[in-house]
Amino acid sequence: MSTDIAKKEASALPNYAPASDIVEMEDGFHILLDMPGVGREDLVIDLKENEVTISGRSAYAAPEGAKLLHQEFAAGDYSRTFALSDAVDREKIKAVLKNGVLNLYLPKAEELKPRRIEIVSE
Amino acid sequence: MVIDFSNFYDLSRELDRFFDETSRPLFFSQRRVAYPMVNVAEDDQNYYVDVNLPGVDPKEFELTLTDKNLVVKGERKPEEGRYYRRERLQGVFQRIVAMGAPVEREKVAAKFTDGVLHVTLPKSEAVKPRKIAIDN
Repeated sequence: MSTDIAKKEASALPNYAPASDIVEMEDGFHILLDMPGVGREDLVIDLKENEVTISGRSAYAAPEGAKLLHQEFAAGDYSRTFALSDAVDREKIKAVLKNGVLNLYLPKAEELKPRRIEIVSE
Repeated sequence: MVIDFSNFYDLSRELDRFFDETSRPLFFSQRRVAYPMVNVAEDDQNYYVDVNLPGVDPKEFELTLTDKNLVVKGERKPEEGRYYRRERLQGVFQRIVAMGAPVEREKVAAKFTDGVLHVTLPKSEAVKPRKIAIDN
């Protein structure tokens, strides 16, 4: 029973697709997502086949007993899915959450990195 | 007071809007593009100002309490690299929150967690609600 209630509460929060940047840096691709108010323990990253889904919950609340005079943001569920290309080395994906921004590091697969081709003389 | 709105703003329109909006409380349904987003709450003891500042290092923004306003100002810098998608707002930002009543300037406290700045501004003794004894 309690899980049913929990589910109802969960669905009551609005859903947001967090704003994201996709940047290619020297070391690979980075997906940056704005997830203010989301702590480490409220964040889930699922990698399934060629899709990575990031979901998190911001438990923002006005201080207890206080009345909101002006509101521009609220608690909510963040969720967004990205398709990964084969150029990404899935084993080495890393995620860092800092100051409310999730940095998902997607390194390029080894075989796709530029390399010099050895010439074998016969 | 110098108001240097960032380049995201159309200055004159934004000024009009600013004066229009600070004079009355706003509610969530009136969505608009403002950056960074601000919530203001109050109880008998304090005002609470919460600012959404994801990805801004606490060292890179300034929080100033002027005469009647609380000013948050800073810059969110872009990453170096080739952008394929750019949705997150970047650049210089400033928000001014007009304090409707005097606050205890010395006791203002700020905390930054998970990209949200929480500022607590205790109300001045003079404006705190108090019961008035009635003499018979």
